Amino acid sequence: MSKAFSKEKLQYMLYTISHPMDGFYWIRHAEKGSVPLAIVLVVIFSICFTANRLMASFIVNDLDPRSVDSLYELMGVLLFYLLICVGNWAVTCLMEGEGRLKDIAIAVGYSTFPISVVLFIGTILSQAVANDEAAFYTMLLGVGIAYGLIMMLIGIMQVHNYTLGKTLITVFLTFIAMLIIIFVVLLVTNMLSMVVVFFKSIYTEIIFWS
Amino acid sequence: MKKRLHQLAALVFAGVILATGMPGAVQATTLPYTTYNYDYREDIVYTPAAYIPLASVAGSSFTYEGETIGDFASPQDLCKSPDGDIYVADTGNNRIVVLDSAMKTVKKIITSFDNNGTADNFNSPYGVAVSESNQLYIADSQNHRIVVLNEDNSLVKIVENPTSEVLEEGYVFTPLKVSVDYADRIYCIAQKMFEGIMVFETNGEFTGFFGTINVEITLWEKFWRKIASKEERSNSQLFIPTEFTGIDIDPDGFVYASNIDSSGIQGVRRLNPKGEDVIKKGVNENVGGDLQIDGTTDYAGPSQFTDVVYRHDGIYSCLDRKRGRIFTYDHEGNLLYIFGGLGTQKGTFTMPVAIEEVNNTIVVLDAATGELCSFEVTEYGRLINEAVALRYDGDEALAVALWQRVLELDENNELANTGIGKAYLTSGDYIEAMKYLEIGMARTYYSTAFKRYRNEVLTENASVFLTGVVVVVAAVVVTKKVRKKKKGGDIDE
Repeated sequence: MSKAFSKEKLQYMLYTISHPMDGFYWIRHAEKGSVPLAIVLVVIFSICFTANRLMASFIVNDLDPRSVDSLYELMGVLLFYLLICVGNWAVTCLMEGEGRLKDIAIAVGYSTFPISVVLFIGTILSQAVANDEAAFYTMLLGVGIAYGLIMMLIGIMQVHNYTLGKTLITVFLTFIAMLIIIFVVLLVTNMLSMVVVFFKSIYTEIIFWS
Repeated sequence: MKKRLHQLAALVFAGVILATGMPGAVQATTLPYTTYNYDYREDIVYTPAAYIPLASVAGSSFTYEGETIGDFASPQDLCKSPDGDIYVADTGNNRIVVLDSAMKTVKKIITSFDNNGTADNFNSPYGVAVSESNQLYIADSQNHRIVVLNEDNSLVKIVENPTSEVLEEGYVFTPLKVSVDYADRIYCIAQKMFEGIMVFETNGEFTGFFGTINVEITLWEKFWRKIASKEERSNSQLFIPTEFTGIDIDPDGFVYASNIDSSGIQGVRRLNPKGEDVIKKGVNENVGGDLQIDGTTDYAGPSQFTDVVYRHDGIYSCLDRKRGRIFTYDHEGNLLYIFGGLGTQKGTFTMPVAIEEVNNTIVVLDAATGELCSFEVTEYGRLINEAVALRYDGDEALAVALWQRVLELDENNELANTGIGKAYLTSGDYIEAMKYLEIGMARTYYSTAFKRYRNEVLTENASVFLTGVVVVVAAVVVTKKVRKKKKGGDIDE
């Protein structure tokens, strides 16, 4: 466990953020990444995301604070993370991707870090901006989110050893795979609940059988 | 033992409270309707009542020249004269009944008039209006004319058979609602006339349409119409603009006209003399009544404004026949308060058709029961009315005292909070201003207050900040030098 959060892994994570092409390549080929660290980064992202929605100043934040539930959002972010990883893994398995589920999880998890950072800085910065300076805040967030998404794209490209075009196609297919997974999960839960209801009603019939 | 005693005492105390009733428990309201408003987030917020039922008057409660006048039969309109008299269009009884402003006595009943020597009657008089010179305008619907009478019932003119290039051949003019401006121009809503409000000059000549509501077809509907076959197209419903339902004119000559909007966004228009809509829709971009209209029951759906009354200082009230509610807006389109409802209790309606304000009471005419329901203003409503009036005149500083009292009754009232916040902003107390403006959800003003506050703090503490920067820079430089020296020393050794 301590190995997963060693100083070396942390430093390599920061190196990956500044050199994504190189960084993600060696994560795949030299075991330089850490899945627990990636999951922790996703949790940090969720915290920063919720904090930004709750605490960004009134001037830039039009959200109803009553509509924000941090635990619910943490659950949503983690589920979405799982969904992306599984969806991408399912697609890339069929498309000669070299990456393992582990590598995809690291690539996606590490890419959330720049977004977390800008959300955190933005939340603090928002306390000091007025209406006409809100554009800086928006720009900061925009740049961070764009950087995170580009990093994610590069990460997927590098761990699977794809070209850019093929990566874009897989990303598109990943979205479709995610939709299919959601559909199947909903279908299964729905049918399972029907089965449960069926057995429940049989039970009810039996106990009131006279 | 001591603990036991304490428990016993607590039990006894609880019993006493239960027996005497909860102290400070809220008294059940005796109002037949709930009063609420919508906040910035379009959530329902329950508020104190702005108006409470005062009286419900049936026609049979009046006597005229010693005899009872009988119930109103499907009355469709009422209006107020400059003297404060109330004119009721008693449509089913073919007469106009004039009441005094207190709705206690009948001043006169107009059933006929002298039409150039012959006695003439009305046939379903649907709308009435009184001009500034006290002339009475009657939309005599089934006689297809507008009759204009003097105060002494003598005929001034009859407006009928409008002719114009823009009217179809054989057009039958059936006036429903009528109104008249300061120059005695007649604005008339006619049956099955979708082009807009018909305008007649002082001499009775038809001059054209006014305030036409354009049909809005979405891209999606256009697309479906494009790919539909001819039969399908003829079977689908026609795109007809909505008709106006009620009309009122403010002292400046702006025409307030209500209409039924199926999307529930704009149920009332404010038309300038050119016929352009210049209404302001407020923060929620809506002057269409209820905002929460989802549902599948008959009771759900957008409000249907059937009449509008311009009251004073930019305040106007709209009457919703769907749920019997009265929505009052200010000149900026902010929803001030909502009251009224459907039902059979005093203060509720079965089929409300017309609304008027007389001596600070709001009077609603119910066509089904033939009753006039009046509402009197409460402290809460009066404070809002006066504060809005002061703001309309530009005296925002004077309005603050009133807004403070509104907050005592309704502490989250956004208009009141914004009003107070703006006053603090002008007086330079930015921290207080920010506090109130945030509750009032006035983001732009909040930002202004915040910016000024920030600049104030920065200028006050400029010396501290600058000294801090110098100290930090000096510290960095010194530590670097010290380190370098140390390192250099290390190499030397």
